[in-house]
Parts: sequence; structure tokens; C-alpha cells
Amino acid sequence: MERESRPPMNCLKMNPAIRRYLFRFLTAMSAYVALLLAVGKYFHRFHPHGPLAYTLAVLPAIAIIASIVTVGLYLAEEKDEFQRNLFIQALLWGLGGVMAVTSVWSMLELFTHIPHFQPIWTYSCFWIFTGISTPFLKRRYR
Amino acid sequence: MKNRLRELRAERGWSQAELADRLEVSRQSVNAIETGKYDPSLPLAFRLARLFTMRIEDIFTEEV
Repeated sequence: MERESRPPMNCLKMNPAIRRYLFRFLTAMSAYVALLLAVGKYFHRFHPHGPLAYTLAVLPAIAIIASIVTVGLYLAEEKDEFQRNLFIQALLWGLGGVMAVTSVWSMLELFTHIPHFQPIWTYSCFWIFTGISTPFLKRRYR
Repeated sequence: MKNRLRELRAERGWSQAELADRLEVSRQSVNAIETGKYDPSLPLAFRLARLFTMRIEDIFTEEV
């Protein structure tokens, strides 16, 4: 590859779609953490029942759904088709990874005595695989 | 697909970053297209052709 003269910190240059995505995603994730802590505290202190308990329990999941929506918005707003393509590939690796892990784990749970895989970890697991795959995908196109 | 992007860019004295700015894509996109690792969509190929005032088939050729 040809060496390009470019200003320092060019690697940190972000297009507006990525900036918006990061802002929205971090906001959604911050809301998730805040809601999880608040709901956890509320349940610990007041032991709610009935519809209130169900409503409160679902609140952190709404933040997760919001973060999924931010991914969709990014894909719709990203004008650089190559970057969009890279991101989609990373998401597919994330999905593949999480399905592989949960499939293996569920079989192990079925036939052995390993601890139960809490579904709450599915989303984190998805992003871990997506995050791990990203530098490998970028290296492929370097 | 093979392409003449690097050659055409060099003729105009543009860096990958400059071409990327003109196309409103990232430098990585230009590099991936130049090295033949990524084939652009038809709309992007048209943008490239317009920028170099050439036909798409004069920039991109099918690898046989």
C-alpha cells in the first residue's frame, strides 16, 4: 500500500454518521446502566408486585432496544458504503458468535451440569464478538 | 474486478485522502477499492466515473 501523507490524528477523524451513532449508542447504554441500577435498588428496597413489577423489570430492556435502533439508524445514515459494509460484516460475526456460544452452552446445559447461561449476557456477548471481529475485518481490507 | 484508480489518481496528483474527500467516503474505502479488495456499488462507480470524466468500463475491468 502506498504511504499517504496525512495530518496526525487523521485516524481519529469521524464522519457525522459515526459521531451520531456513538453519541446515541452511548446515551442508550448509559440509560441502560442507570435503569438497571435504579430498578435493582427499587426491587431490593420495595419488593414491588403485579403490573408495577413487570413494568419496572422491562425498563432496562427498553434502553437495550433503543441501542439496537441506534444501530439501524447508523446503517440508514452512513453514506460511506464501504464502512457500512464493514459494520454489517462485524454485526454478522457478532450474531454468528453469540449463536454459536449459546448453542454450545445450551447443549452442555442439557447433557452436563454446567451453570445456566443467563440470557441477560446474550447482548453483551453479541457486542464482544462484534468488537473482536472489527479489527480483523479492517485488517483484511488494509 | 480490476481498476485503474491508483493510476488515474496519480495522474492528477491526488492522495487517497484527497480522492476520498472528493467522493465523500473514507480513505479506507478508496484504499480497499484501489487494491481490488472491495468492489464499489454502481452509484459509487458512477461517482468515480463522473469525477474522472470517464466511463465506468474505462476505470473498472472484469477479471477473467
